[in-house]
Amino acid sequence: MNMGTDLAYNFVFKVVLIGESGVGKSNLLSRFTKNEFNHDSRTTIGVEFSTRSIQVDSITIKAQIWDTAGLERYRAITSAYYRGAVGALLVYDITKHLTYENVERWLKELYDHADPHIVVMLVGNKSDLGNVRTVPTEEAKVFAEAKGLLFMETSALESTNVESAFLEVLTAIHKKVASKEVTRGSISAVTLGQTLGPSSEFKEERRSCCNSS
Amino acid sequence: MAKLQSGNGVQRGTVESLAEHESSSLGSDSELNGFTEIQTDKYGFIGGAQQSTGENDNIPPDVLRQREAKWLDMLNSWDKWMAKKHKKVKLRCQKGIPPSLRGRAWLYLSGGKVKKEQNQGKFQGSKSHDARFKELDSQPGDPKWLDVIERDLHRQFPFHEMFVARGGHGQQDLFRVLKAYTLHRPEEGYCQAQAPIAAVLLMHMPAEDAFWGLVQICEKYLPGYYSAGLEAIQLDGEILFALLKRVAPVAHRHLKKYKIDPILYMTEWFMCAFSRTLPWASVLRMWDMFFCEGVKIVFRVGLVLLKCMLGSQEKLKACQGQYETMELLRSIEPRYMQEAFLVQEVIELPVSERDIEKEHLFQLRRWKETNGELHCKSPPRMHGAKAIIAAEPPSRQDLKQNPTIIVEVPQTTESKMEKGKKAKSKMQKKTDMKNTSPPLNPYPLPSDPALVSDTLAPSESQHLQGSNQSLSSTENDTYL
Repeated sequence: MNMGTDLAYNFVFKVVLIGESGVGKSNLLSRFTKNEFNHDSRTTIGVEFSTRSIQVDSITIKAQIWDTAGLERYRAITSAYYRGAVGALLVYDITKHLTYENVERWLKELYDHADPHIVVMLVGNKSDLGNVRTVPTEEAKVFAEAKGLLFMETSALESTNVESAFLEVLTAIHKKVASKEVTRGSISAVTLGQTLGPSSEFKEERRSCCNSS
Repeated sequence: MAKLQSGNGVQRGTVESLAEHESSSLGSDSELNGFTEIQTDKYGFIGGAQQSTGENDNIPPDVLRQREAKWLDMLNSWDKWMAKKHKKVKLRCQKGIPPSLRGRAWLYLSGGKVKKEQNQGKFQGSKSHDARFKELDSQPGDPKWLDVIERDLHRQFPFHEMFVARGGHGQQDLFRVLKAYTLHRPEEGYCQAQAPIAAVLLMHMPAEDAFWGLVQICEKYLPGYYSAGLEAIQLDGEILFALLKRVAPVAHRHLKKYKIDPILYMTEWFMCAFSRTLPWASVLRMWDMFFCEGVKIVFRVGLVLLKCMLGSQEKLKACQGQYETMELLRSIEPRYMQEAFLVQEVIELPVSERDIEKEHLFQLRRWKETNGELHCKSPPRMHGAKAIIAAEPPSRQDLKQNPTIIVEVPQTTESKMEKGKKAKSKMQKKTDMKNTSPPLNPYPLPSDPALVSDTLAPSESQHLQGSNQSLSSTENDTYL
C-alpha cells in the first residue's frame, strides 16, 4: 500500500461516490484515503472529498475522491459534483435490497450528468454483514456485466476489498486515458510533466491528456 | 446520578448518567461498561469535538445575572418589546443570550412559542383535541421517511453527550421531532440537513418546543431550503456569490476563475446554519443573532469566512486550483471562527436585508431564464423575529410563560410579589386550579410538614425548604 506523496504524481483522477443514503459511501472514502472507519460518521451534507496517491505500474495517480449526500432531493445539486469526474463508484448496501433496486436510477443520473466515458464500478458494501444479506452476489455480478460496469463487494468496516475496488477503477481509467480510446479533451485530467515541484507551479490544464509510454 | 465537577469549563459525567434507563450501549464501537468517566465540555461535547478550546471567555456571573433579569423582563412583555424596543432586543441578541434562557428566548424570537400555544388543542389533556405535537407524535408516520430518519439518528453530533447513546433519549427525541415534521408537512417530507438543526434545538429545549422551532426555521427563516429540488439553497448560493463581489472582490474573482460553484462550499454552511462548521460558542452566538435578524446573519457569516480565507492575493497563492481552494474552505482557520472575532465582523458587515432581497430578485430572474419556473414555490422568507411577530400578531395568552415548577408562596411575601409587575420571578399562584392540591414536595426535609403522604388541602400554604435563597430576594432567581 503506497500512499504516495502529494508532490509527485502523473495524473489526477476525480472519482465520485454515489448511491443511496446510508450505504457506506463516506466510510469507503475515509477507509481508502485515511484508513479510518466510523460507525457514527456524520450524514454528508454538501460535498466531502479526500485524496490519495497510488501507484499503477510505474505511474503515480492522485485519486481525488468526492462524496455526496445520497438522499433523493440532493440529486438536484449534483451536477457540479459530476463535472470532471472520470470514475464513479456506485454503492449499494448488500443488506438493504432497496438500495440495490435504486441502482438503475443512479445510473441514469450518472449518464445524464457525467462524462460519457466515465468508468463505473458497482460496489456492494457491508459484506461483513453476510448473515443478513439480501442481495445475492451472483445476481449483482450479472447485472453489472450486463450494464458494462465493473463489480466488487466490499466492507469498509473490515477493510475488505476497498483498496482493490479503488485500484481497479483507477487502473481502468488510466487504461482509457493512456490508450487513445478517448479523444483528447473528453476526459479531464490535470497533468504534470516530468518535473516535480510545489503545486502552485502546476498549470490547471483541464483539457490536456498526457500520453505516457 | 451524574457526577459533576466543574473546573475550567470541563465537566465529568459518568457513563451511568447516559445509560440510565436506556437499553442500548454507548455507541457500538466502544467497549464502555460500568462507570467509565467521560469528559465533556460545558456544551456537552466529548473529547474536544466541535472545537471548544476550553478557553475562559466566560462572562462574569453578576453580568450574567443582570442579563438574565433583563431577558426575563423582556419575555414577560414580549409583544411590547418587539413592537417598541426591537432595537434593544437586537442588541441583546448580539451580545449573546444568557445560556439559561437561550432555549426559551429562541422559542420566543422564532415565534415557535406562539405556534405552540396556538396549537395546544381545545381542551388541555383531552384526547379529541390534543396538542398538535402530541397528535403528530402519536401517529406512526410514513415508513419511507422513518427509514431514512432512523438511519440518521446516530449521525448527528455523535460526540455530544445527548446524542451519543444509540436509542437514547436524545436520539429518541430527534426521531420524534423529525417524524412529526414529516407528518406536519407530508409534501415536504424529510431532508437530512433538518437533523442537525433539530439537534441543536433539542440541546436547548424539550421535543415539543424543538418541533415548533424547526417548523419556524423551515417555514419562516429558511423556506424552501429543505424542499425537494433544493432550489432555494441554490439560489442563495448565487446570492452569496453575487454579494461577495462587493464584499471581497479578490475572493470573488478567484472563485470565478476556478469555476467553483457556490454549491460546492456553501451547502452545508447554509443548510445547517453553520452548526457543523463553527466552534460551538460561535454557533450559539450566531444562532442568537439569526433568530433575531434572520438569514442575513447566515449570509454575513459566509461572506466573512470567504473574505478571511480568500480575500487577499497572499492567501490565494496557496490554492491555485479548484480542489485546493475547496480544501482551504473546508478548513477555515480557527482564529476567523473564534466567537469574539466572528461576531464583531458579522455585526459590522454592511450587508442588509434589502441587499439580499434585491439580489434575490435578480438571481430569480436569471434562474427562470435558464431553468424556467421554480418547481417549489416557497413563501417569502421572514427576516427575523420582528417580521414574524408582525405577520401574525399573537395574543397575550400565546406569549404567557408557563413555568413547569410552581412554588407555593407563603402569604407574607405574596403581596410583595403582586405589587411589582416587574417581578422577574417565575413563581405564580395557581388561582385557576383551586380544586387541585399543590404538587407534593418529593424531597421533603425532616422539618418539612409536607412529609405526610396525604394530599394537602389547597388552603394550606406549603413551606418548601431546601433553598437558602429567600423567595422575596430582590434578585428573584429562577431555576428554570
